[in-house]
Amino acid sequence: MSTRIDLYPTAEISGWKVRPGRVRPYGTSLVPGGVNFSIYSSAATSCTLVLFDRQSRKIIAELLLPDSFRIGDVWSVVIFDLDPESFEYGYRMDGPWDPAIGHRFDASKVLLDPYVRSISGRDVWGIPPDWDDEFPYRGFVIPEDFDWRGDSSLEIPSEDLIVYEMHVRGFTRHQTSAIAHPGTYAGVVEKIPYLIGLGVNCVELLPVFEFDEFELSVPNSYTGGTNMNYWGYSTVGFFAPKAGFAATGSLGMQADEFKSMVRALHQAGIEVILDVVFNHTCEGDHRGPTISFRGLDNQIYYLLTPEGYYHNFSGCGNSLNCNNPVVRDMVLECLRFWVSEYHIDGFRFDAAAILGRDPSGMIMNNPPLLESVALDPILKKCKLIAEAWDAGGLYLLGKFPNYGRFSEWNGKFRDDTRDFLRGMPDHASLLATRIAGSPDLYEAGGRGPLASINFITCHDGFTLRDLVSYNHKHNDTNGEDNRDGSDDNRSWNCGIEGETTDKEICSLRLRQIKNALLMLMVARGTPMLLMGDEMGRTQWGNNNVYCHDNHLNWLDWSLLESESELFRFTRLAISLRLRHPALRSSRHPRSDRAGALGFPEISWHGSQPWSPDWSAESRLVAVVLASTTSSGEDVIYYAWNSSSTANILQLPSLPEPFYWRVAVNTGCDAPSDINNDDEGPLLEPTHSFLIGPYSSIALIAYRQKS
Amino acid sequence: MQITVSQHHSAAIAVITGDITHSAAGDLQEKLMAVLCSTDMLVLDCSGIGILTSAGLRMLLILYRESKVNGKKIVLVAIPESVKDVMSVTGFLEQFAIHNSVDDALAQVSKPILL
Repeated sequence: MSTRIDLYPTAEISGWKVRPGRVRPYGTSLVPGGVNFSIYSSAATSCTLVLFDRQSRKIIAELLLPDSFRIGDVWSVVIFDLDPESFEYGYRMDGPWDPAIGHRFDASKVLLDPYVRSISGRDVWGIPPDWDDEFPYRGFVIPEDFDWRGDSSLEIPSEDLIVYEMHVRGFTRHQTSAIAHPGTYAGVVEKIPYLIGLGVNCVELLPVFEFDEFELSVPNSYTGGTNMNYWGYSTVGFFAPKAGFAATGSLGMQADEFKSMVRALHQAGIEVILDVVFNHTCEGDHRGPTISFRGLDNQIYYLLTPEGYYHNFSGCGNSLNCNNPVVRDMVLECLRFWVSEYHIDGFRFDAAAILGRDPSGMIMNNPPLLESVALDPILKKCKLIAEAWDAGGLYLLGKFPNYGRFSEWNGKFRDDTRDFLRGMPDHASLLATRIAGSPDLYEAGGRGPLASINFITCHDGFTLRDLVSYNHKHNDTNGEDNRDGSDDNRSWNCGIEGETTDKEICSLRLRQIKNALLMLMVARGTPMLLMGDEMGRTQWGNNNVYCHDNHLNWLDWSLLESESELFRFTRLAISLRLRHPALRSSRHPRSDRAGALGFPEISWHGSQPWSPDWSAESRLVAVVLASTTSSGEDVIYYAWNSSSTANILQLPSLPEPFYWRVAVNTGCDAPSDINNDDEGPLLEPTHSFLIGPYSSIALIAYRQKS
Repeated sequence: MQITVSQHHSAAIAVITGDITHSAAGDLQEKLMAVLCSTDMLVLDCSGIGILTSAGLRMLLILYRESKVNGKKIVLVAIPESVKDVMSVTGFLEQFAIHNSVDDALAQVSKPILL
């Protein structure tokens, strides 16, 4: 016998036993004896809950909810005796069709619940959809009862983090991954030993919220095939994991598989950051399909022009109205959900500048969404990373409304390191600024170097190998006559455009990659490595591979063997960073604060010690980073030479009994290019050091045992 | 879905055939609970299981937890590879006691029982 009165139905609609539901939480929730549904619309005139049979995919019931089931703008209902595994659902919302004032209701459409926790329709990646299906995406209910067995977020300090940006499918889809579940969450788990071996302690996953890989299905005139929405920067459901990334997607168990992945990564000491896309949805502009928001409450969810068209600050057709209280609630609730239900450790906000725009599209001084996210108690310990610009020309690098919480993808780090690397004039002091944690961007606001996510490459643009192999983008395979993708690559092909067997050029390229990796692993802030850069992954000069589900995106694991020298270098460069506290402080280093062994926290040098050359023609930067911690004095010397000639460096002297020990010299052949601690050669006290052309070195102050 | 139960000393052996979905799970759970009441150990022979859905897996896990609370033991044996794979990637597998065959399971428990 029930112990509560509200476990009994009070009415019947279309043959189903029901009672008015609870308005919160939005979406669906399993309640004793049934399922609670709750949906918002401020302007709909009626709400009909549509139930589909999961097997036959046919509509089994349409429940027009009476007014007594509505509180304010929210309809809710409990349906009893509903087998959660046998049905899917959506909503029909009736209301005005008046685009000029922003209303686009269409009761002929069955809409996806914005809070839906699991979505069917694209269960297995790449299976061609039924294009005649009027309602291709449907929601279904899942239990949220995962047994985490003691797991919680890792809360690794940002200064100790090494981020690895990767695509779930691309990471293991290639046949050379040699695993049981290629291209899936389960596949990521199978490669955890690899990630541990590399030394990264955080994966940043390209979008994993449900998206439709067939969204961009346009014929590709170049390949003769069809383009795909491979990257997934186009969300269908913000609360649903991408089913097609799950080995168990066809069973609807993607949530369990995802959680198992997070748990396994945490057990391995690896955090999980999600790349989240709240700037727009998959519905495109006024020509796009009506899937959810447009038909639920177009005027509320989107930034509209005075004529009722869509502002396109995202470059993807529409822009989410992030600072409307209803939308703000959804975004905040979504982030809380992923942190609490999926144990996610942080978020990278795609085109986050849009999150600071008001309903008319203007930038706000104090955007309530960003403030709410930054100060939310549930999100308090997770990493928040902004891509501080958008496609509408808003560029907030260094100025992103951060409330002391948001860090930023540091685009200037990428640009300046690339320019220095290719030997551009006027870049010695800029490189120095980036190495010091970009105080020009982050010191005045009191944010410190951890506001800077340092990266040289990311999914957008060239891979590191391509950065040293191509002067220009080669995007013909995208089928847009090479018009798409950025022309601002700041790359240098080292002499020949593209792949070559020329030994000298290959050797120079490898050296340049190592020089870049060393910058990344030395600079104050949080370094981010792009998947595959540690083994020389190429996209054959394509700097915008968003649309390819093939070898352009899939990591070829055979590179581990052919590029073993690079992999070893990367692994040891990461380990060098993690072993040396002088590289990982949460403060900007200062030249007027004592570091260790008589060196300040940071000091700049040149061919002569203490004499940096900041002139336009200087292509040499040498730095000593020094700190004293409980484990002792830590002093490291780094130098990069981006000129085509070698240079003799007089080294700053060390007090007895310390000697410089060579940790890295990219001018040397492997294995002398990088040494394990305590294995590199010790230098004589008055030693001068020959740094080769396009080379970098690292020396560690080593206490000579008597 | 069908279930046949036989007794082997202090252990009951339940052979399950067919799919365990949400609609079958409730009935199966009731029957297995009844078996558990009169035995110390329940061996679930899974060799005949076709599809084990999310709800089916959860039912088994609830049963498993319930048995632990009551000082009883449940062992899953002869799980088909495809089912085992799903259980593995969704994190369910490691939560159960698993044996390859009924004989293996009985051999394992016979020791503590003799003591």
